[in-house]
Amino acid sequence: MNRGSDVGFFVCPYPIFDTRTGSGFDPEPVLLHMPMKRQSPKGRPNIVWAFFSSVKLTVALLIILATASVVGTLIPQTEGVAQFAQGLSPAMLKLFVTLDLFDVYHSLWFRILLGALTANIVICSLDRFPGTWKRFTSRPKPDREKPFQDLAEEQTFVIHHPPADVTERVHDYLADKYRKPRAREVGTERYFYGEKGGYSLFGVYLVHMSVLCILVGGLVGSFLGFEAYVNIVEGQTIDTVVSRKERTPIKLGFGVRCDNFTVDFYENGAPKEYRAEVTFMVDGKRAKQETLLVNHPATFKGVTFYQSNYGTVPGNAVHLSISQQGKAPISMQVEPKTPYPLPGGEGTFSIVDLRSNIMDIGPAAMVSVHPEDGEEINFWIFEYRDRAKKILPGPMLNSPKFNASAYGPYTFVLTGLETRYYTGLQANKDPGVSIVWMGCFFMVIGLFVTFFTFHRRVWVRVSDQGQDLVVSVAGTSSKNPVGLERELNTLARSLEKLLHKDPRI
Amino acid sequence: MINSIILSYTTFIYFLAFFLYLLFMVMGRAGFGRLATLVTLLGLIAQSFAIVFRWIESYQLGIGHAPFSNLYESLIFFTWTIIFLYMIVEWRTKNRTLGTFVTPLAFLAMAYASFSPGISSKIQPLVPALKSNWLISHVITCFFGYAAFGLSFALSLMYLLKQRDTPLRQNLFLRLIPGQAILDELNYQMIVIGFLMLTLGIITGSVWAHSAWGSYWSWDPKETWSLITWLIYASIIHSRLVRGWRGKRIVFLSFIGFCCVLFTYFGVNYLAGLHSYAK
Repeated sequence: MNRGSDVGFFVCPYPIFDTRTGSGFDPEPVLLHMPMKRQSPKGRPNIVWAFFSSVKLTVALLIILATASVVGTLIPQTEGVAQFAQGLSPAMLKLFVTLDLFDVYHSLWFRILLGALTANIVICSLDRFPGTWKRFTSRPKPDREKPFQDLAEEQTFVIHHPPADVTERVHDYLADKYRKPRAREVGTERYFYGEKGGYSLFGVYLVHMSVLCILVGGLVGSFLGFEAYVNIVEGQTIDTVVSRKERTPIKLGFGVRCDNFTVDFYENGAPKEYRAEVTFMVDGKRAKQETLLVNHPATFKGVTFYQSNYGTVPGNAVHLSISQQGKAPISMQVEPKTPYPLPGGEGTFSIVDLRSNIMDIGPAAMVSVHPEDGEEINFWIFEYRDRAKKILPGPMLNSPKFNASAYGPYTFVLTGLETRYYTGLQANKDPGVSIVWMGCFFMVIGLFVTFFTFHRRVWVRVSDQGQDLVVSVAGTSSKNPVGLERELNTLARSLEKLLHKDPRI
Repeated sequence: MINSIILSYTTFIYFLAFFLYLLFMVMGRAGFGRLATLVTLLGLIAQSFAIVFRWIESYQLGIGHAPFSNLYESLIFFTWTIIFLYMIVEWRTKNRTLGTFVTPLAFLAMAYASFSPGISSKIQPLVPALKSNWLISHVITCFFGYAAFGLSFALSLMYLLKQRDTPLRQNLFLRLIPGQAILDELNYQMIVIGFLMLTLGIITGSVWAHSAWGSYWSWDPKETWSLITWLIYASIIHSRLVRGWRGKRIVFLSFIGFCCVLFTYFGVNYLAGLHSYAK
């Protein structure tokens, strides 16, 4: 089988447990994680240490965590719990509650699993690091024979009229391209050694530390941070938010004012943009102004505010029109809860209740008329009367409660209601975020180093055979035998060229 | 909508490619293989143009955004990544047998996108939550991950089929499939590429979620399922690199992994969650 063409065409690495060898494989074990010995660093075998340094445990934990996560996506976690619980028998419900199945990801047993994974990662790394370090710092003898067994044809070449400075040339070349160059002469043979990519042995530790880093970041966030929300009406200033989990108020220590809120729609009616202009206030003074959009939060004093929803509340101006048979209607603007005289002076009226959207009909106001003699009369008026007629049932419409002409001879018409938006903000504090991002960064770097860089060692043997020189090139690699083969061929060709070149010409 | 027309033709081009790859393996004629490669390449080029046209068209509609915003567009891009990755593998391995197993995946995804009644091919405006520069990097990394896992799945199938190949059996189809050692190696390479891409996809998704939803991780079903997939592939990599598992065991785990990928992609649509626009 021709190894070069079929496997390893990608840049990745794989230790192959293969005995086809020749140039390719390290005579030493090629496992990424080389277990040194199954015992504690003190040299005493320890059951706990052995348990947590096992990769069987790692695989088991990964699969258990995956299964637990599946359970969490199938059982309702926060929303719909009540509905789901109704369908369970009391015994099942008790079991579910005891096992925290309605909050799997924050349950004690899930955290214990994560803790076990952490212990597993730490102990595995400590267990294997000395071996890796030894491998990294080791200086193999230049005159090893084993790598030169079963060499491929391309890795040996003959130089017929060698220049005098062969040793210097080979040594200088290796010193230039590789680290830790060494040379040794044994009888008629000269050996050279060099290596590169030793750092790739540490990639795997970087990946595992990054997992710990992310877990620590999550832990920091859950202890020192909070997730809260707050609704702010345009013009209003708040200084307290409500925690999402415990529903308790949290003092911010500064004020947040919503100056303006707008929502834009596409032509098809889908929302395009929510925009809240907010001002952060410290001791009643404006400290910072920000625009909050979805995907564009703002942070003030460690608390990050996210635009998350919105709604409307009635404002302070109600536009009315009061008509009287045979007379021109009178338009006026009134404030809620304030009595105004009736046009004919028979008494007063006021707006006692306001809704920006009632039963999907739209704005509505409750008018309360206080005649000078007689009972007070309350009734609802709507801005969209046609819609009200469609939505409200007949008997309701005919009752005096919904009769805009309940106090004759006047008919009250709601012509407009000032509405104000409120912005629903999420307010989070998470000091662990930067630790998590650091972990993510290390994980990506670590995965690259682990899978796409290689620790390669090369040996060159120069044998004097009378007038000729026979040069052989061999090597080992922790991963990616095909890449090594390519590298050895390049090395052989370069050396061949180098040794043919005669400085005297 | 020139892009939708090209895309519906592409569906048939990939079917034709599958047919040609199959003919090549059944009849053993290299000519069919070359033709299959040519047809697949044609499909890839046409599809690339269609995606670019769609992108341009969205700008002409005044709602310009990268064509990665709903299930239709994601299926199109998934097909594109899987064919793109396959073409690279074919080029590097000089072996066409994998095509017979990959082109059906591409064809099925395209057919689902084009003919499923529930999926609209219209270019829709972006909802505010998707308006982010992270959209492109998140979608590209995730889908390259999915595509690599798709190839790993196809290679696993080939591994099982190859097992039935014995010197006594004169089955050309089976004989053309590369040796199990090569399939195993290649399968592992795909898993590594997929794992790296999935990791990047989850990270870009977290960074995005942090600015859009206020939390880098909120146990949304899609997030959770991507983590499940990540855990499964992580355990495959560990069992191979450290415990030295090979062959059938890896194939079996790779099947489980790909099921998780499919569930992450399609299954979570049946669970409520924040990724609802991908339905």
